[in-house]
Amino acid sequence: MKDEISKFLPLSPAILHMLLALAAEDLHGYAIMQEVARQSEGKYKLGPGTLYDNLQKLLHRKFVEELGRRAEDEDPRRRYYRLTSLGRGVLAAETDRLSEVVREARLRLLAKPRRA
Amino acid sequence: MLRSLYCCLLRLHPSAFRQRFADEMLSILDHTAGKTASIGLLVDGLVSLARQWTLRPEFWHNPWPDQHPAPDGVPSFRTLAPFRPRAGAVIHGLVLSTGIFCMTCFAIRYGWIHVLHVRIPEVQFDVPQSIQMKSGTVASAGPERPTVPAPSDNQSPVARLAAPQSAFNVPTQTPLAPFETQDHVAQNPVAHSSEAGCPQSRVSPCAQPAVEVAGQPKRKLVPESARLGDLQSNSLLLPDSFRFSQPRTEQAKPLNPGTMIRTEGRDVNLSAAERQQVIHGAVANLTKYYIDPDVAQRMAQALWAHEKSGDDAATDGEAFADLITTQMRDVSHDRYLMMVYSTGTTPANPPAPTPDDVARYRKEMEGNNCTFEKVKILPHNIGYLKFNEFPDASICRTTAAAAMASMNHADAIIFDLRDNPGGYANMVALIASYLFDHPTHLNDFYNRSENTTEQSWTLPPVPGNRLAKKPAFVLTSSSTFSAAEGFSYDLKMLKRATLVGETTSGRGHMGMGHRIDDHFTIRIPGIRVINPISKTNWEGTGVEPDVRVKAADALKTAEKLAERTLQKK
Repeated sequence: MKDEISKFLPLSPAILHMLLALAAEDLHGYAIMQEVARQSEGKYKLGPGTLYDNLQKLLHRKFVEELGRRAEDEDPRRRYYRLTSLGRGVLAAETDRLSEVVREARLRLLAKPRRA
Repeated sequence: MLRSLYCCLLRLHPSAFRQRFADEMLSILDHTAGKTASIGLLVDGLVSLARQWTLRPEFWHNPWPDQHPAPDGVPSFRTLAPFRPRAGAVIHGLVLSTGIFCMTCFAIRYGWIHVLHVRIPEVQFDVPQSIQMKSGTVASAGPERPTVPAPSDNQSPVARLAAPQSAFNVPTQTPLAPFETQDHVAQNPVAHSSEAGCPQSRVSPCAQPAVEVAGQPKRKLVPESARLGDLQSNSLLLPDSFRFSQPRTEQAKPLNPGTMIRTEGRDVNLSAAERQQVIHGAVANLTKYYIDPDVAQRMAQALWAHEKSGDDAATDGEAFADLITTQMRDVSHDRYLMMVYSTGTTPANPPAPTPDDVARYRKEMEGNNCTFEKVKILPHNIGYLKFNEFPDASICRTTAAAAMASMNHADAIIFDLRDNPGGYANMVALIASYLFDHPTHLNDFYNRSENTTEQSWTLPPVPGNRLAKKPAFVLTSSSTFSAAEGFSYDLKMLKRATLVGETTSGRGHMGMGHRIDDHFTIRIPGIRVINPISKTNWEGTGVEPDVRVKAADALKTAEKLAERTLQKK
């Protein structure tokens, strides 16, 4: 299973943010865009083209599944998406990987330069 | 604009992507405020377009997996997008669709003519001269008489048009035929007999079966001489319509027996008892049907007096009929009152007009554009409409509506009735409907024998019509007759149109033929048109124009009047 997940890593920033956005709750595309903007404090903005291109990939890889439309939504055209267990596993793996990267980065940045 | 561009961009995406995400992308655009942001989305759409076509070929034809019911129970739907029907199924569908389309068209057409048609009083004014022309006999109308397309043999639009307000009592007898005056007949007896022979030019003019009445030659073999027989037998064909007839001359003169009616046939020697029987029948019918009971009574007395004195000892049927006609007219001065003799046998129960009769009438009307001769826009945007009859609205409604529609943007409208000898009251009401924005009472038809009055109203306002408030002019001549006079008179009384031209013929009564016996039929005006405003009609006097000019100058005068009226506005 781990090998299966690891082949998707590393994730692109867009996919990482989208999976993160969906990790908390089911969202529609526009809400994903807004959530990504919020997470990155406005520094990373997804356009619809990029968003749905990546959603296309995520759906194809089964990281995400579609829930369909919701009658109570203000715009009935919106479809909701949910993170699958595979997607959640991939996100967790990516998070671990990034943690390792961060840890390694901190170690290197804090260590004194050695002379040869 | 931006949204349209964005839609175009989305349409250009690969179909799989478009079907899956286009709605949502458009939804995002709709929720994006600000022009700058929208332009940003456009750029994003362009990039996406390029990306999808260049970098994502694996998704071009990748049908999305069917949407299964989501885990949270939200239903999803299957689509038939990938489905491709068999060629046979497509052909079947095509045939079925074509069939349904044709049936729908037929239903609409049928409904337009027969179902949606608003029934209005069935009053038929006849057009005798057209018969004359059609029959190949010499037309005796005035020199300016138009070549009114003659009804072919026996067009009988039998469609009965009842008044919307009440069912119009169907007369039990036939409409009156045109009455000839002596001078005309004397000049052209053949034409006369022809005309007299086909009184119901529109309604039941000389129906074919009648032509073949026993003892009578078929018309096509003896077209002129057979007319009288046609008249008498066919005069009873149409129980459903009233009509006026067009006189050939204006002045009624005493009849000259022997010239009034010429029919070929046997010489009949009438016995005194037979003559008495005919007079008895004439008196009975006059007393019952003639529009003026007092005059009817005086005519009856005169007829009996002549009979008693032996003045009417004619033994020839035709001469006797002429004599009776003269005697009646001497008292009544009614040139539309007439005794008609036929060598043929007049059926006691005339056959109803056949679908063929109606079909012939329809064909004829289709062939002559329902007599709408000129429909055009004159300088200064003045609409000009010349029609030479008031044809049956049940047949010509579409043509009339098209003609009126073509006038819709005119600033004024001129109706040229100088050559119009009348026709159907339902067409009068139909055309008048375009001049009013509300249903308007045109006139009443008083049936003396039944003591009933039927009202004629315009139809409800025509959707989209813009003529209701436009200045209107009606051109009249001394030949304008019957229903055409009614149209003129109604509009004049309602102050809706200015009449320009000459005083009209003066036919405000309608009547029918009443069978007396196998050979004698009496025609009696029995229905009076009563205008609700004037409480009278134009019988005998004609309709006076507002602006009196010669008929030939009427159009120019009306154009100037219209132009002046428009300039004042």
